[in-house]
Amino acid sequence: MGEETINALAGINLEIGQGEFVSIVGPSGSGKSTLLNIIGGLDSPTKGNIIVDGQDLSKASDSELSSYRNKKIGFVFQTFNLQPTYNALENVALPLVFARVPFGKRSQIAKEALETVGLGDRVRHKPSELSGGERQRVGIARALVNNPKILLADEPTGNLDSKARERIMELLAELNKERGLTLLLVTHDLESAKSADRMLHMRDGQITESAERK
Amino acid sequence: MSFPDLLRTAFSNLRRRKLRNSLTILAVVIGAGLVSLLVSLGIGVQGFLSDQVRSILPSDVVMVASNPDVFQIGLGGLGFAGKPQQISGNQTGGSSTLQPLSLQEIQEVQGLKHVEQVDPFIILQADSVRLQGSQQRFRTDIRPQPEYQVKMVNLVAGKYITDQTHGECIIANQYLDVFGFTSPQEALGKEVIIQVTQAASLIGLPADTKEYSFTIVGVTEKTLSSTEIIVSLTDGEEMSRFWANTPDLYTNKIPAAILQVRVDGSQYADQVASEVKDLGLGEITSSDVLGIIGTIFGIVQAILSAFGLIALGVASLSIVNTLIMSVYERTREIGVMKAVGASKGTIRILFTAEGAAIGFLGGAIGVAIAYVLGFVIDRVSRATFLKDFQTFNISVFPWWLIVGVIALTTIIAVLASLYPAHRAAGLDPIESLRYE
Repeated sequence: MGEETINALAGINLEIGQGEFVSIVGPSGSGKSTLLNIIGGLDSPTKGNIIVDGQDLSKASDSELSSYRNKKIGFVFQTFNLQPTYNALENVALPLVFARVPFGKRSQIAKEALETVGLGDRVRHKPSELSGGERQRVGIARALVNNPKILLADEPTGNLDSKARERIMELLAELNKERGLTLLLVTHDLESAKSADRMLHMRDGQITESAERK
Repeated sequence: MSFPDLLRTAFSNLRRRKLRNSLTILAVVIGAGLVSLLVSLGIGVQGFLSDQVRSILPSDVVMVASNPDVFQIGLGGLGFAGKPQQISGNQTGGSSTLQPLSLQEIQEVQGLKHVEQVDPFIILQADSVRLQGSQQRFRTDIRPQPEYQVKMVNLVAGKYITDQTHGECIIANQYLDVFGFTSPQEALGKEVIIQVTQAASLIGLPADTKEYSFTIVGVTEKTLSSTEIIVSLTDGEEMSRFWANTPDLYTNKIPAAILQVRVDGSQYADQVASEVKDLGLGEITSSDVLGIIGTIFGIVQAILSAFGLIALGVASLSIVNTLIMSVYERTREIGVMKAVGASKGTIRILFTAEGAAIGFLGGAIGVAIAYVLGFVIDRVSRATFLKDFQTFNISVFPWWLIVGVIALTTIIAVLASLYPAHRAAGLDPIESLRYE
């Protein structure tokens, strides 16, 4: 058996406007996450260009990409990816460390981000002391803390119960509307996907259907 | 990432795996402690020996001899393992024979710049010394010394003798015990009898014996020169003339073969020595002797330090191991850091800083422990077998040793962390985020 090249994405031509809320649905392995990771600067396309805010990511160096992820992108993960030894505030402040924001200023900014997601009273709590919904709120606050332009959420509600799922979706929609944040949401949940301005269906690395909300 | 953040993160990460990191730091501590303790003991002992050399051959003194070869030190000069040495000059005699210096040579030496005082070096061998009224005789080395040199010895009792002194002496501390004195003060004012038999007796020829009486006016602190009795140059010359059976010795007729030349500042000693050499005479300074001691100690210290360095080498493997484990455990965390804006360089420097923190802490703790141990060794030895050498610091920690050892362990740790840091930096962020 030799190595086989699999095109996670093929022939994608997609434009997303600023402030748009786009959801991406499709079966596992259809390339949803890869698309998100490429837009987020965590992965690079082997061919083709990806231009975000006038910057061509396919030509960017590692330090340019990391600065891009730091300043323009906010990632929200399915598994939250919080640092268990840090409290909520320290978790939220992590991107500020790499943005070289001074120590004293960091906690203030991080606290504001936590207040935005409604966790102003949980700043000293460790992730283990928070509920699933609260953990994801910390994750969202971390994604917001550097004032990014784009929020990339990969199955943000996949590990939550229905009540928490609703509230997280409300929060994301609110951030999209009130802050003008571009929101890309990968999800299995059609209900959530339908609340987007545009819903993309993916299969085998290609966009098979694009539906605007009426 | 700013430098304070780097330090904060590095040290706080060390606290996360306390036991494992403590053990790794302990390995560094052992290496750093060994190196610094052994070097500090070496410095202490070398310093002590150097002091002893300076008390016999002060740093502002150049010894001058008629024979250019006589002070040659080294394996060849000792006729041991080195190349047979060529005899310099056109005079008769070998490499260790001496002839009186000529008046002209002495004048030339006196005329050199920076030469302050020129005295004959008195050669003399005494049979024994005994306390007046006692028949117990003891070995002795008579040291006729000029006043400035006498004053370099620390006394525990009494006073110094001057160049004009006649019939007075300073005895080595070790004589107190054998003479039966319970305190140094008790010895002052007592008479000792020094017996001298003429040099001809050394090769079995008929010779006379004479006794000289001296009053003890001073007692030295304990030094390695345990059998010395210091007398004035005048008294020394008198005894030496009898010993050599040469009444005109140290006069213009038969000047001394060796001169003790004092220069007006120890920084000029080597310069004067080289000018003496240009006159075709033999010369030696304390820096020559100290240089040899320094070389020997350098070798001994290097061998001893090697054990500490081996320990540090093993510790560096432990650092590599610890950090690789840490990279595995924190793969997901590394993924998150990259996702929120850490570059490869940042991740690399973060892990390097953690290694450096281990090295720094290990070095600092190691030096601190060695310092305390050195202090204890110092106190214990002075309370026991070094009781009489109160000025002897067996363990000495100069600032450069402290800084040097900490720098060494930090550098070794940084080198050890390069590979784990490189691995962490190269992790794929997407795979890291999926890592369970």
